[in-house]
Amino acid sequence: MSVVISPTQTLRRSQLYRRHRQLGADFAQFGDSIAVDHYGDDEVSQARVLGLADLSTLPRIGFKGLGTPVWADSCGVKQPAQPNWATLQGDNTLVARLSSNELLLASNLTGSSKLIETLATATRAHRVYALPRGDSHSWLSLCGEQAANTLAKVCAIDFRAQYFTNLQIAQTSLAKINAVIVRTDIGDNLNYAIFSDSCSLEYLWDSLLDAMSEYRGRAIGLQALHDCATL
Amino acid sequence: MADKTRLPQPLGMLIDRKQPITFSFENKTYSGYAGDTVASALAASNQWLLSRSFKYHRPRGVLTMAGQDANSMVQLHSDPNALADRVEITPDLEVMAQNYTGSLSRDRGARLGLLAKFLPVAFYYKAFFKPRGMWEKWAPLIRKKAGLGQINLNYQPEYFDKQYQFYDVAVIGAGPAGLCAALAAADAGAAVLLVDENAQLGGSLNYARSDLEGTQSRQMREALVARVEANVNIVAMTDATCNGWFADNWLPVVRAKRLYKVRAKQTIMCVGAIEQPAVFHNNDLPGVLLSSAALRLINLYAVRPGQSAVVLTGNNDGYTAVLDLVDAGVDVKLIVDLRDAPAYDAIAEHVCGLGIPVKIGHAVYAAQPDATGLHLGSVDVREIVSRGHCATHGEIIACDTLCMSVGYTPTYQLICQAGGQLSYDDDSAMFTLNQCPDNYYIAGSVNSLWTLEAVVADAERAAIIATNALGMSSRQIPDLIVDVQPQSPNFSWPIFAHPKGKEFVDFDEDLQIADIINATRDGYEHIQLVKRYSTCGMGPSQGRHSALTTARLVADATQRTVAQTGVTTARPPFSAEHLAHSAGRSFYPARRSNMHHRHLESGAQMLQAGAWYRPAFYGDAAARTQCINREVDNVRNNVGLVDVSTLGGIEVRGTDAGEFLNRFYTFSFLKQPVGKARYALLTNEAGVIIDDGVACRFGEHHYYVTATTGGVDRVHQSMLKWNAQWRLDIDITNVTSAYAGVNIAGPRAREVLSKLVTDIDMSAVAFPYMCIREGSVAGIPARLIRVGFVGELGFEVHVPQYAGEALWDALIEAGQGQSIKPFGIEAQRVLRLEKGHIIIGQDTDAMSNPAELQMGWAVSKLKAFFVGSRTLKELGKIPLKRCLVGFVVDDPNAPIPLESHLVVDGDKMVGRVTSCNFSPTLKKPIGLAYVPPTHADAGSSFTIKSSGGSLVVAQVVDLPFYDAGNLRQEL
Repeated sequence: MSVVISPTQTLRRSQLYRRHRQLGADFAQFGDSIAVDHYGDDEVSQARVLGLADLSTLPRIGFKGLGTPVWADSCGVKQPAQPNWATLQGDNTLVARLSSNELLLASNLTGSSKLIETLATATRAHRVYALPRGDSHSWLSLCGEQAANTLAKVCAIDFRAQYFTNLQIAQTSLAKINAVIVRTDIGDNLNYAIFSDSCSLEYLWDSLLDAMSEYRGRAIGLQALHDCATL
Repeated sequence: MADKTRLPQPLGMLIDRKQPITFSFENKTYSGYAGDTVASALAASNQWLLSRSFKYHRPRGVLTMAGQDANSMVQLHSDPNALADRVEITPDLEVMAQNYTGSLSRDRGARLGLLAKFLPVAFYYKAFFKPRGMWEKWAPLIRKKAGLGQINLNYQPEYFDKQYQFYDVAVIGAGPAGLCAALAAADAGAAVLLVDENAQLGGSLNYARSDLEGTQSRQMREALVARVEANVNIVAMTDATCNGWFADNWLPVVRAKRLYKVRAKQTIMCVGAIEQPAVFHNNDLPGVLLSSAALRLINLYAVRPGQSAVVLTGNNDGYTAVLDLVDAGVDVKLIVDLRDAPAYDAIAEHVCGLGIPVKIGHAVYAAQPDATGLHLGSVDVREIVSRGHCATHGEIIACDTLCMSVGYTPTYQLICQAGGQLSYDDDSAMFTLNQCPDNYYIAGSVNSLWTLEAVVADAERAAIIATNALGMSSRQIPDLIVDVQPQSPNFSWPIFAHPKGKEFVDFDEDLQIADIINATRDGYEHIQLVKRYSTCGMGPSQGRHSALTTARLVADATQRTVAQTGVTTARPPFSAEHLAHSAGRSFYPARRSNMHHRHLESGAQMLQAGAWYRPAFYGDAAARTQCINREVDNVRNNVGLVDVSTLGGIEVRGTDAGEFLNRFYTFSFLKQPVGKARYALLTNEAGVIIDDGVACRFGEHHYYVTATTGGVDRVHQSMLKWNAQWRLDIDITNVTSAYAGVNIAGPRAREVLSKLVTDIDMSAVAFPYMCIREGSVAGIPARLIRVGFVGELGFEVHVPQYAGEALWDALIEAGQGQSIKPFGIEAQRVLRLEKGHIIIGQDTDAMSNPAELQMGWAVSKLKAFFVGSRTLKELGKIPLKRCLVGFVVDDPNAPIPLESHLVVDGDKMVGRVTSCNFSPTLKKPIGLAYVPPTHADAGSSFTIKSSGGSLVVAQVVDLPFYDAGNLRQEL
């Protein structure tokens, strides 16, 4: 017998869980996190065209300070050479370099990242400061061939695939709120990870879905992203 | 069965004869085809009268068929001033004419024309204001007459939005030049946006023939459009208008209900030229139209422009038009050629051999209406005896159509907006454009090139320059293209004054030759002044058809050259756009705490503070005061819970954290013990209070500082700014969104909280007032701060944002036995007021300093420096000018003063109220107010000018109003 998972059975709840429920979401456990598994059928096709997924409950963390690059290196973090670029670790943990001395780490789609767990409890070197990115920032995934067109309705940056390459970062204004946007393709599917003010998540979600409607975009669950990664 | 109202195919390339459509105009049903505009469908039904002119209510009809003139403006259901030659008909579309009294065909307003001699140019500047007070009588009448169309006040807003677009090259205009430029750029690898305001690519290739057989334009169009459509590097937007040019090739392109914000690295303007009307008596009658309009009617819509026509021409294009008219079955009665020595091209030579009479060196001196008075009936053709003057007698030619082909102006608006300069060449009688900015080019007829060969070469040249600049090509740039034309297409003076006037220069505003000349005689000689004085060029067509004639007339009247006279400034938008295009889909960021939905579920009335939604109070909005009072009462007697997630939170970490706070805030922080909180007052360099909060020292090198909801971003920025100067070894991070928080307050707060805390000794001794602890609440990692903002035993509990709702649930559940209730911002305001605590921004203003607020206790006298210290030191040397005091109103019948009510001393304003509420605890109004120092001592009284001017006597009292010994917050 399958167990129905409720988004409120853990302390960490996405601020969108009511909206997910209204959309008919089925939730699932991803590591220690509960997130939307799917809303309906064939979300992979939707993800190929235009999908929006809420990854806000998945782990992420940040560090900044003059000592950060050396310390992170000593902890085995593979860092991009330049700010505003990201890289993927062996377990697909995303490491985004937001400035010379600032890193944002986000887990893979399974919701687990040994690296984040390790860094969260590791003794930090002098001038290394932890940032509660899991709390301060929401995490959305906008994917599919129409993702760049959608972003063009809410942001002044040119996100077209040929101009904004995979693992490139834009720290910009999205629908008039600050956002860190990292292109992180999933398999061969165009994908943008959007990290933004956690308290503005409902606003941003609504704004993006509204912008997506022109391209028949819909909310999708993490399962579709997983499938895109493996297909 | 063939439709006799239409010409046979292949004419009518825009209409789909398989899709008939019915619509109404002036409540009468008409039929047309899909692809027809309102004007073309009406013309096909022989309805040429479209509107009435603005000033004299003259009958007006088709002039351009290009959406360039005010003649075609009609009323749609929710859209006044829609262009009948742009709006496509749809099933059951209801169209009405505008600006008439009675009926369109019998407009009583036309009587105004009889008064024309009493309405000289700028008459409104000269009349209506004498004798004194007369304007008030005239204004209602004039306002009733002014304006065109009706606004639908029941209009339901529609969805308009915006989208950014990015291209290597933007090509504006998709005529032969635009198509060729786009293809050349795209073939070099550039991403190209091709914009055209018409429904179909091709521009003049769609309707204007370039060879005798009439095949070259069509074949060229088909070939170019096919290549454009097949080119993946080109995005073609039709029915789209580039409405302006802004720095760095920022181009607003309006299409349907969207404003595209286009960024182009290179821009090529292929916007063509605008055909100009001749100026003669009654040149505005329906039936008098531009040759290009006739060609559009024939070729695009298969509509015959009339039965019998005269063609007035000053160039060879008029002869080309004759060919199309003849092919369409129009009886061309006469060709009137303004030139005294025309240099014919092959087409004109051919036309001269068709047997149609041609009068060289002649003009149409006047047009006369038919019996209805609503359409052209005949023209008076006379010999030109000198520039602008005709012989005293001529020949009357009956006709229902007069096609004018006397010259062009480049479509200069977008080029001039970009900094291009407009010059006038006397030899060609034509405006030319030059001095375009970098990365911006013009090509085609806007660049004064007219033959297809020259236009194509010019477009390709522009594309080469653009793609070379992009690094996509390194081709040799061809020499400037020179056109080989036997004669300029512009006739130098197609302007013929008439003793009875009515030779319209500007159709929009009914301005005649004399109006322009009289403007200069009134002393307004500069073209910009002529425009404003006469309103010439200020109408909907923005001078498209009047700028050239006006420049010529003003130059002549002021003995200057046309080049010296110039034209008026062309500003965006190029054509009318809906305000909704600019407003678009607006974004209103909204921030919600993690507990937001719990507030809604508890019946909260929400208010927005900046971007944040906050609960004002809980319960029925109609019982606001009772709800607030109940919440206050529950906090005072039991325990209340308020969401403080919106409060700012800033982490200051590093070895210099204490030193930084010591410099930044007024208080001393170097010796603040770990585990303690301290009030933090912030002043700016001018000593003005700009924020406050609590600095919590969680570690030797770690402070967590709170700030006001509205002020935290400014505080954070200010911290960064100062430390950029001080270069202390710290990190500053705004963590406002990372923490959700509540304040649990009331005498039973500890009782409730203790149920959920297992790792902190919550006793008063172990966890006293203004102390801080880290631990967990209901299993959630938490920071606890013992504060007293509302004057009761209270704990702020800050937890990771994601767990705010879980914390709220746990506290509400734990507090059931202690009668816990949520309370909102309004109750919090009352509670803090009873305690005499200020709110930054409400009780302070842009001049408030600590001394005025009696907050000298929050300013360290021992520190050598803090931001604002020097100013405060100087201010301390001069007497106070005002003081913020607490007051009560003892008179139970007095109205409760409101915030910003004035404190008065006789007739003098001496202060103002900043906060005032009825205190449910003290059972009387209490408040804070700025008063003169002479009235600041407890026991003094002052007068407040309250609502309706009533005077309320207030008594100054010592603060706080409640619990003077602070016993309750230190329980």
